Amino acid sequence: MSETRSAGDPDLTTYRDVQLSPDFSELRRRFRRFVFPMTGLFLVWYFVYVLLADYAHGFMSTKVGGNITVGLLFGLGQFVSTFAITMIYVRWADKKVDPDAEKLRHQIEGEPR
Amino acid sequence: MSSAMSLTGIGLVIVATIGIGLFGLRISRTTSDFYVASRAVSPRWNASAISGEYLSAASFLGVAGLVLVNGADMLWFSIGYTVGYLMLLVLVAAPLRRSGAYTLPDFAETRFESAVVRRICSGLVVGIGTLYLLPQLHGAGLTVHTVTGAPPDVGAAVVAVIVVINVAAGGMRSITFVQAFQYWLKLTALAAPIFIILIAWRSGDHSIGLLQSLQGAAAEWAEPLSTAGGRDHPLYATYSLLLALCFGTMGLPHVLVRFYTNPDGRAARRTTVVVLALLGMFYLFPPMYAILGRSFAPDLVAGGADTVVLELPSRIFPGTAGDLLGALVAAGAFAAFLSTSSGLTVAIAGVIDQDLLRSRLHRLTGGDYLAVNSFRIAALLAMTVPYLAFRVTGALSLADTVGLAFAVAASTFCPLLVLGIWWRRMSTTGAAAGLIVGGIAASAAALVNVVGAPTAGWPRALVGQPAAWTMPLAFLTVIVVSKLTPDKIPAGTARSMVRLHTPEAVEVDRGPQAFTNLPPSDSTPPRRA
Repeated sequence: MSETRSAGDPDLTTYRDVQLSPDFSELRRRFRRFVFPMTGLFLVWYFVYVLLADYAHGFMSTKVGGNITVGLLFGLGQFVSTFAITMIYVRWADKKVDPDAEKLRHQIEGEPR
Repeated sequence: MSSAMSLTGIGLVIVATIGIGLFGLRISRTTSDFYVASRAVSPRWNASAISGEYLSAASFLGVAGLVLVNGADMLWFSIGYTVGYLMLLVLVAAPLRRSGAYTLPDFAETRFESAVVRRICSGLVVGIGTLYLLPQLHGAGLTVHTVTGAPPDVGAAVVAVIVVINVAAGGMRSITFVQAFQYWLKLTALAAPIFIILIAWRSGDHSIGLLQSLQGAAAEWAEPLSTAGGRDHPLYATYSLLLALCFGTMGLPHVLVRFYTNPDGRAARRTTVVVLALLGMFYLFPPMYAILGRSFAPDLVAGGADTVVLELPSRIFPGTAGDLLGALVAAGAFAAFLSTSSGLTVAIAGVIDQDLLRSRLHRLTGGDYLAVNSFRIAALLAMTVPYLAFRVTGALSLADTVGLAFAVAASTFCPLLVLGIWWRRMSTTGAAAGLIVGGIAASAAALVNVVGAPTAGWPRALVGQPAAWTMPLAFLTVIVVSKLTPDKIPAGTARSMVRLHTPEAVEVDRGPQAFTNLPPSDSTPPRRA
């Protein structure tokens, strides 16, 4: 996209139209509203785990059974939760994002060139 | 351990790697094949290949070594490597695919309409790739040295030569198959000894030693955030490491290019789910080696911790069984060096080819050359620099050095991608300034580490794990400079944003050209050979 485009270029108008259209804003907003909080949440969970490990030794080394401690379970939980978050994201993207793709695509491609 | 058996194992891996590579050569024809396997790789193959490429010397040998010396904190390496992948998926993977750019420099040029930003990115790709290749070569040297006593140069040279031949011969298509095979080999090599040890334990063999080892592990070493192994400021170091791994993965050149080998966005998401499962499965094993190593190979804590995975089988089972398992592990380690190095070499060679070599070759030969040959020369150059760096650097901790590559990526490409994709007021000057400031700060820290780190206190912690200060510094630089230079916001930002954020349609193969209204970017590489 390094070539510059003149103001009268029809393509440019099309893209500006899409950029300004409520559908596009809605799509971006929906994506951000889901992805950013989710990212924040799972980062907090990882960072809190580190803090717990440091400042809540007693709690983390509580024996659940045998040599299995709360800390160990939480540690394994990191892997499990990473996987769970991925599954949630993928389902969400399949269900919510992909159908909107069709609509917006038609809008873009339907524009006269 | 028996060197003959281990050498046979390593030899078999090399033969299989070249063999599958040659098979790939027969179906690899165009430049597009070389870069992205013509986007025709199924999710399951691709996931194995991605995992195979991602699990490097640091994962195979380094994590176990770090846990052995420094204790439970180092488990963050394995979690961080996995979470980094998730960050890549949710924040940048889809928009980047839609941008139609194959590489980070392509993206930078498309988004910021600047050849200067592109050139800075190219330099960073080569730098990060070299920093990542260096520990692979050290790992290879270490493995051959442990197995046969031969000088480390031998192992490093073998890996360098095999990788260049394989990449130059078949490119991405052939290494996709090679890397898929290598993932399963690595997992088998790491898992088999552990399972056999567990079976032996249950049948009453060695039971006392193992019980002792598990109880001995309850000492300071197993406590999180302990200062075992002489690490300073463990809370800072752990957070900094986590940041580097979470946000660095998206900036690793060999990881990103892999997302283009999926036929569409849906397949890319499927692939990532499988990748996370495969990575999680793999990372269960290195900590077990460390725990067992604490009782069966305590001498390694003082020196040579990175060899614990290689040494453990023969320490627990003297005789043929141990030799066989040792050979399997050595073969798996070689698979790790070869696969990661191949992926990195493809990524670096792609950048050297496009940004340095092709225009010069064009001028020299008057256009009379094959694009594929330019890529082949680039592959040779891509391995030469890290090999020379290997010759001048001393022993390194494998996982620590890889961690530094992540830190540089998190301080440069992460702000470029995250802000570039989501913030439309980002200016070209801001992008360049962020890359330069973050790049210089993190690379300086990396260099100090490779050459010889400060010995104690905060300086050591800050330089040893720089991401916690270099990454915010880079983000801040981009934001402040962009605010100061609003006239340098790229003219095509609105159009870039539409392109980046319009989701990919289902069942549409959206190659760079497939989105009909968008003219293909100048810089997309698949010019036919």
